[in-house]
Amino acid sequence: MASVSVNVDGLANSEDWEGRYFHVDQILDRPGPRTDPSFLAGDKVKDFLRNKCKILVIGAGGLGCEILANLALTGFKDIHVIDMDTIDISNLNRQFLFRPADVGKPKAIVAAEYVMKRVRGVKVTPYFGKIQDKDVDYYMQFNLVICGLDSVEARRWINATLVNLVDTENPESLKPLIDGGTEGFKGQARVVLPTITSCYECSLDMLNKPTAFPICTIANTPRLPEHCIEWASVLEWPRIHGEKKLDTDDPEHITWLYAAAAARAKEFNIEGVTYSLTHGVVKSIIPAIASTNAIIAASCCNEAFKIATSSAAYLNNYFMLIGTEGIYSYTFEHEKRKDCPVCGGELLEISISHETTVEQLIEMLTERQTIQIKKPSLTTSTKHIYLQGPPQLEQATRPNLEKKVSELVEEGDPVNVTASTLPFTLELVIKYT
Amino acid sequence: MASQDIESATTALQVQPDNKARRYDRQLRLWAATGQSALESSRVLVLSGSATSTSILKNLVLPGIGHFTILDHATTSHADAGNNFFLEGFESVGKPRASEAVRLLRELNDSVDGHADTRHLRSVIESDPDWLASFTVVIAHNLDSQILVKLSSLLWEHPSHPTLIVVRSAGFLAEFFIQVHEHTIIESHSETLPSLRIDKPFPALKEHALSLDLASMDPTEHSHIPYVVILVRVLEDWKKSHGGNPPKTYSERQEFKKSVLALKVKPDEENFDEAEAQAYRCWTETTVPPGIASLFDDPAISPEALRESPSSFFHLLAALKKFTEQSETHTLPLTSTLPDMKADTANYIHLQKLYKTRAEEEKHAFKSHLRAPVDDATINLFVKNAHALHVIRGARWDTLDHTSLANALTENPKAACLHLSLSALSAVREQSPGSPISAEALRKQVRTVVGDEVELPECLDDFVGEIVRAPSAELQTTAAFLGGMVAQETIKIITKQYVPVRGYCTIDLIETWTAVIGS
Ligand SMILES: [Zn+2]
Repeated sequence: MASVSVNVDGLANSEDWEGRYFHVDQILDRPGPRTDPSFLAGDKVKDFLRNKCKILVIGAGGLGCEILANLALTGFKDIHVIDMDTIDISNLNRQFLFRPADVGKPKAIVAAEYVMKRVRGVKVTPYFGKIQDKDVDYYMQFNLVICGLDSVEARRWINATLVNLVDTENPESLKPLIDGGTEGFKGQARVVLPTITSCYECSLDMLNKPTAFPICTIANTPRLPEHCIEWASVLEWPRIHGEKKLDTDDPEHITWLYAAAAARAKEFNIEGVTYSLTHGVVKSIIPAIASTNAIIAASCCNEAFKIATSSAAYLNNYFMLIGTEGIYSYTFEHEKRKDCPVCGGELLEISISHETTVEQLIEMLTERQTIQIKKPSLTTSTKHIYLQGPPQLEQATRPNLEKKVSELVEEGDPVNVTASTLPFTLELVIKYT
Repeated sequence: MASQDIESATTALQVQPDNKARRYDRQLRLWAATGQSALESSRVLVLSGSATSTSILKNLVLPGIGHFTILDHATTSHADAGNNFFLEGFESVGKPRASEAVRLLRELNDSVDGHADTRHLRSVIESDPDWLASFTVVIAHNLDSQILVKLSSLLWEHPSHPTLIVVRSAGFLAEFFIQVHEHTIIESHSETLPSLRIDKPFPALKEHALSLDLASMDPTEHSHIPYVVILVRVLEDWKKSHGGNPPKTYSERQEFKKSVLALKVKPDEENFDEAEAQAYRCWTETTVPPGIASLFDDPAISPEALRESPSSFFHLLAALKKFTEQSETHTLPLTSTLPDMKADTANYIHLQKLYKTRAEEEKHAFKSHLRAPVDDATINLFVKNAHALHVIRGARWDTLDHTSLANALTENPKAACLHLSLSALSAVREQSPGSPISAEALRKQVRTVVGDEVELPECLDDFVGEIVRAPSAELQTTAAFLGGMVAQETIKIITKQYVPVRGYCTIDLIETWTAVIGS
């Protein structure tokens, strides 16, 4: 039997036993009725997929584990993975490359080792750290990027980075981005061809707005158990613990918050504060299960496979799934936004009155669903309007908060908006009404 | 509250979740302890250790089903070793596929019991049908038609027999069908909220709303009246001057909204803005939702049927019907859950208490109609979800009749053609085992199924062609996609939470869509 594994009829890689790719080769050996004529059936496409294609997976969590296993079995052999997290016990209900003994270890490293052990001949290169640690040259080396993240901020960053990477003179600089996301029984997968199709930033308004409770409700008129929990974490924790930072992964901390919130709830006759709810609210926990992750990760990898091989048309460009009541899915083309601050050509216009103050404008910007920023700084080409930092500049520009925007900015003058959570500078044009 | 009080409260509370609760935290938020315990007492049988089968099982072992068995007599082939994550590559070749897969799947979760059975399904059906019937769910992937017919008839014989999920795939194409007898759902986790009955306020609510002296109220207090109270009040006032009727025409409704806003004493009273936005509730009559009203005609709640029925669900449903017939408002029991709204603590909690008290009273009235012993926890859940109950009466596998097929061909030709092509593949394989699959043979088979009169859409050739390209290809991504979908539906069936899909769920992973036909 061993001889079969060695004599691999002409194939270079000794890990490839005869028949290993029996299934996927049926697709790669011949086109289907809808396959694009550019498809190079046979050895050429197999050689590209198995020996040349380099793919980056961002995230080694719920989606990431599934993505890595799928890619490896599909025939991708040069896979890189980035994740900054370590394994927590609550990951084990779905992140199937991890075991209880792995708790505390870096996800990227454990996942890479597991996949390499199980699927021979595949190289998975892990990086335990942030995507922001890597520069343009690093991202340039890949043919494709798949993103399985739960952070909006990280997705905006990689999206903007890949859009900026595009150099029209160099076709290699266009890196298709495949993005997946899940929440409970719901999920979505999409394909972004940077600068060509709608990007992540174009669809920011499709995200659910995070529930924010007004501080006066939390401080004075709580009605819900969530209000009591927010009070405990936002007001009571810093009051009692001073500089000590709240760690939402520390059960001792959650227990303290729970006790504080429960006491406040009792005082106000509010029912329903539990440990689980406390944990969920302070950590913004999103329910997550193996099955939804499997569907979305499979869809992402399927698109990666089709793009890498041209063996079939790929998703154009958004697949949305809701599995709570029956199975409802919707495949559609999300349209590029002309005024998308990342991939659009046009400037974003915002209409305000002559009376609007700088502080009100900042509030408008933070509430706007298509922008979603926290603590923006505003400048024009000639002056600082308001800067969040450093402290001396914040202090110097603070008096402007009460001034009218119309006193500081002329109509049509572009205003640059920056924020630490924003991976690019947003250019705004103010119109006065 | 002093910090030492919190510290002492913290030590007093033994609240931190145990390892099991922490491990399952992200899923307990979806199906709670009741769903979890249903999963833990379930037994799942999967027929064959294919990549699709192990993908399905992975997504059931991780959340913690009780037991699974893989029934598969095959030994691991070179091809199996290349596409299945739950085989150890070349090292598994020649070993029993079931044992290899079970061993590796069990590594995912210590608390799940797994068993490999290497008997032939054909002989099990004949010699050990009771064993097959002992599972909660049976899942069959790419099973030959003939044996599938036998299996589905066997499992259809008795209502207590397990649910059968039939899964088929080839290349980028797939479908599955759930053969379920009767499936009742209390916790559907519907996103539709129950009515607050503003149009038919219960006495204490009406009294409270009418007792407010809006004109001379303290302005702060005025800005804290919950919108529910505002609307009940304005509606009662309106009805007095409109012959007891709510606003009916468009202009009346606009006038009503204006009168809500006219009550503002300061322009920034957000509670009145909220009342205006919610004003439609005043002219949307609260009735028994149509989906629930139709359940009241269910034969399972006839007195004769109930006498025989051990199902608490139908006893509860019968009581619900009685309750709505006898309630003054002809509505479902009042909800005890008040959504959040602009108000201060005192006003909100007071209103919440009114709702809770009334809901409790109506629950008692509901219980008085109940003719069988049911535990309180179930009664509470039932009443809470009374607006979103479901009863599914499934069909036997392979019963897509001519009418359903014709409908599907007009309404969703792509999905219908995908289904017909996969069915044809299975039939053609059966007719000439081992010979290559031709487009001609598949088209001929499709024609036999639909009859000569039916016009077939052009897109049929796309699906037929794709099957000819890869008739026996089990792509990892298709397997993983199905693995997620089928596991998800299995979880819904086992937990009796959320709503499973009805009909054939067809999947095209070229254009990336799913569509349901024959539901
Ligand atoms: Zn864009």
